[in-house]
Amino acid sequence: MATKTLDTLGLKCPQPILKVAIMAPQLNAGDILEVVADCESFPNDIKAWAEKTGKTLLFCTDEGGGKHKAQIQF
Amino acid sequence: MAKVAITVNGSEGVNVFGPFILGSSAIASGDELVLFFTPAGAPSMVKGVIEKMEGKGLPNLLELYEGVRVLGAKIFVCELALEAKDLKKEDFREGVEIVGATTFINEIKDATITFSF
Repeated sequence: MATKTLDTLGLKCPQPILKVAIMAPQLNAGDILEVVADCESFPNDIKAWAEKTGKTLLFCTDEGGGKHKAQIQF
Repeated sequence: MAKVAITVNGSEGVNVFGPFILGSSAIASGDELVLFFTPAGAPSMVKGVIEKMEGKGLPNLLELYEGVRVLGAKIFVCELALEAKDLKKEDFREGVEIVGATTFINEIKDATITFSF
């Protein structure tokens, strides 16, 4: 199982989610993608994305300063 | 997953940002996306136009365009735009298909979500 990271700091909705979707084919089942974002709607959007695409949102934490960090298991 | 069809009826930012923001959200989460630019919306798909469109606090339109293309969106421009707006096929950006309305209507016959901007 691999862990990949994706930095979307500074990108506005829905660019972080779009980048997650574009990166998704590079991940295999069980792999983890860690995403850092400072878009206001990111916590709800990544939850919705994981629900809709059948991925597991392991966590999405508030890192302070408007930053969020999420891990999604594929 | 749903199929999302969006018509774009103008070439200003107010017409173009919405389709790409909602459309990219949809296709990023597994929906199919079909965009249809009417003659009034077609000039926004001419090469170099979306590069110049910016809005305070809004995402980068070119990145949304390239993103939906990578994910397989269909981006149609109505063929009536060619004569109506004095445009040539080669004026349009890469990834755009010039189609007739019948093709669009057939493509979206099973669309369950539609928007018009």
